[in-house]
Amino acid sequence: MTAAGVRDWDPGDGRISTSGTRVPAWSADVPVRPAGALPPLAPDRGPPVLDWSEVVEHLREGLVVCDTAGVVRHLSPVAERLLPEVTVGRVLAASGVEGLRAPTHGDEFSHRGRRLRIRQVPLSTGGCCWYVEDVTDNITRADALLAERARAAFLARVGEKLGNPLHPDRAAAAVARLAVPTLADVAVLVLAPRSGRARWWRATRADDGAPSVDVGVLSAADLPAAVDEGLAGFEPQVPDWLVEQAVDAGWLTGVTAADVSVRVVPLPGRDLPAGVLLVARGACRYYDEADVELVRAFAARAGAALTTAVLYRDQAEVADTLQASLVPVEPAEAAGVQWGTAYRPAQAGLRIGGDFYGSHRLPDGGSVFFLGDVSGKGVEAAVFTGQLRQCLQALHRVEAHPGRLLRLLNDALLETTQANGQGRFATIVLGVARPRGDGGLTLSMSGGGHLPPLVLRASGEVEPVGLRGMLIGVVPDPRVGEVSVELAPGETCLLYSDGVTEARGGRRGDEQFGADRLVHTITGCQRMPAPALAERVEQVTCDWLAHGDHDDIAVLALRATGPQGRSMRHLHAVPALRH
Amino acid sequence: MTVPTTAPAPALSPADAYHGFLDALAEADEYAAVDVALGLVDAGVPAERVLLDLVAPAQAEVGERWARNAWSVAQEHAATHISERVVAAVAAHANPHPTRGRIVVACMDGEWHALPPRLVAEVLRLRGWQVTFLGASVPAAHLVSYLHRHDAHAVALACALPMRLPHAHRMVEACRRSDVPVVVGGRGFGQDGRWARRLGMAWAPDAPAAADLVADERALRRVAPADVSLLADDEYAGLTKRRGELIESALCALRERFAGMRKYSPAQLDSTVSDLGYIVDFLAAAVYVDDPSLFTEFVEWLVGILVSRGVPAASVGLTLAHYAGELRDFPRAARFLGAARALV
Repeated sequence: MTAAGVRDWDPGDGRISTSGTRVPAWSADVPVRPAGALPPLAPDRGPPVLDWSEVVEHLREGLVVCDTAGVVRHLSPVAERLLPEVTVGRVLAASGVEGLRAPTHGDEFSHRGRRLRIRQVPLSTGGCCWYVEDVTDNITRADALLAERARAAFLARVGEKLGNPLHPDRAAAAVARLAVPTLADVAVLVLAPRSGRARWWRATRADDGAPSVDVGVLSAADLPAAVDEGLAGFEPQVPDWLVEQAVDAGWLTGVTAADVSVRVVPLPGRDLPAGVLLVARGACRYYDEADVELVRAFAARAGAALTTAVLYRDQAEVADTLQASLVPVEPAEAAGVQWGTAYRPAQAGLRIGGDFYGSHRLPDGGSVFFLGDVSGKGVEAAVFTGQLRQCLQALHRVEAHPGRLLRLLNDALLETTQANGQGRFATIVLGVARPRGDGGLTLSMSGGGHLPPLVLRASGEVEPVGLRGMLIGVVPDPRVGEVSVELAPGETCLLYSDGVTEARGGRRGDEQFGADRLVHTITGCQRMPAPALAERVEQVTCDWLAHGDHDDIAVLALRATGPQGRSMRHLHAVPALRH
Repeated sequence: MTVPTTAPAPALSPADAYHGFLDALAEADEYAAVDVALGLVDAGVPAERVLLDLVAPAQAEVGERWARNAWSVAQEHAATHISERVVAAVAAHANPHPTRGRIVVACMDGEWHALPPRLVAEVLRLRGWQVTFLGASVPAAHLVSYLHRHDAHAVALACALPMRLPHAHRMVEACRRSDVPVVVGGRGFGQDGRWARRLGMAWAPDAPAAADLVADERALRRVAPADVSLLADDEYAGLTKRRGELIESALCALRERFAGMRKYSPAQLDSTVSDLGYIVDFLAAAVYVDDPSLFTEFVEWLVGILVSRGVPAASVGLTLAHYAGELRDFPRAARFLGAARALV
């Protein structure tokens, strides 16, 4: 058997054995014997006589065998190549190789530009054997692997931080901050100029970890040429020149210009770059190709985040404007009435829903008020409430009688829904409040299939108002309920949507809040100002829900404030009756 | 002459004005309360001092009176509403010009104690910040979508009840994902903010401290990360899952033991159910931050509240014993229940 026949023999140091057929991808520079060179093992051969010196010649570890006196007795060719200073017949310690002085086990040292790992094994005959291995390639590979892992971890963290849509300014600040300290001591993000001005964010390395970020603006004409080039989509290549430009722009205050290395990379956008990232670091730590690759990978993620942020902002602006027109408007101030409202749409991220309320002042000093609920939820329902409120806004100018106004509204809605082919309808309570001479209010209300209002009397008791009627927007001439209610000063009328009474919660989370609990909630609250009462209903309902899903919730409370209104303030020196 | 001769001399310091102000709150007299506060401002007291030395202590007293059962919930709500009006009036009177970035102030989802964060909001405004106050019980989704639309320098988040700490934690994490630093405050994080530290949040004990903290962005971002090993076992998740079942069985146990409960009105029954729920929620929160004192402090407080309303402390003891029996498989929760039972 020859040395080449030693296969599947594990040298015991954890490395992969040099099995002929399986060549690890990373061992391109390790001499590999082709499979064809292996003589087939003949099972019928007798026990071979081993020539050990020939076997060990081909180990990747070199061998240095010493006798008891420390004199080298044998030197394998590998050891000879790695340690040319060592010669057979001379004392090993006298060879001048530092790493061979003391007995060691598994030590590493540098020798002639290579990294060697040695271990010393005592021999039973006395003396010892040194195994010497060249691990330079392993170390380089391990270093490269660690660096790659660090880069992957960095990019993962960047992805996580920039993965959420952010406000564009937040995203820009985050990009600059994330680049320090991994990529740079100073990182400057310059956004593509808008109307001739380019905003920049600069993160500077601080000794205690978190980089400090500052912002500034440059006119597009004053941008350094390299940034301009980057904004056009090219990566400027002359590093020295970049340092000069970055210093001129006033960005490199913290580092010494002489040993600074600067790179500029564009951040890919939708068409042209969204901006440019300038990274700088001092102390002669120049950017090699791997570093620049990492900066580019970072720039790709940063560019995507900035683009998403801008896209999100543009769409959010549109959505905001549309939402603002659909959010219920707070009731108009009116003499003798204190309004209280609460509104909680079903979709928390959205500020609008299918419930609506509002009021309009009448020329005679009274007010039209209403609260209702349209079929459906979310944006479509909100759009319908918008149409409905606009109808009312126009119609109350021609008709101030609640019942007739409700019928007019019904006709208008019927026409709209039929024209649009959508089967939408609404429930509503619509009333007119007129101040009485004594500071009370007279409420004339009409009902379109909505939950009946409650009246909180001065005694603290709660009375339901008998108000019925049919849904509106369904049939041409609906039956409309009408009722008149007198409020003495301090008494309150409460309108609410079914999001209150049908809120599901309680012990098992499936019980409806119900009208009884609502009545109990406001009983005895006769001294509460209307806004506090509305908030109380909202609070108790939400507590009942305990974070569960809910329908839109709307509450409108109107309280008769009494004759004096704000002039009551001068009476406070008079001691009030205590109960 | 119609000028009342009994009118008190205008107060010159918040301490002098305190009793008059409390009376105005007790009478739900918004105009009188506003007059007292604006009188101080007109007399040269800085608006910030009026908010912190008059409105804040008065509101603490309002809470005390409710806890002692001296005031009804309705009175407490009315007084709180008037305090809010006073804050608005003082803020409008001072009308500071914003020169600094935007701070978003909000109450946790489910939190209705809006006045303390409102005071923080106004103190920040007086110090030149552009403040958006989102109000009581702000859903996390609403807050996050606001942060996406408006560039905020920081978020100030209030939590008055420790039982909402798990929600607060999630909300803070959501803000951080939007890359906006958060400062938290309120009694929900413990008197010394220890639960905020446990959950890795920047905490401010009062409005001026919150103002100092938001002014130092690097300090805001330099927060020791949360000890996530707290959630390594699934006791918190298990407790929230079994919440309904625990309440139901505790109610049965109470009915068996206390004959009087069979005659409870629906409203009394509801409040018993919600008290039983609070006990589970506080226990879950204590498990979440792994601190038995969160639960024992709550039980002491609850016993005080119930006794002042004529409910026997034994009912709390019985409930704790019942929960302990049901939660034998929850070693931490069982330990906390044991500590609380020793108190009752």
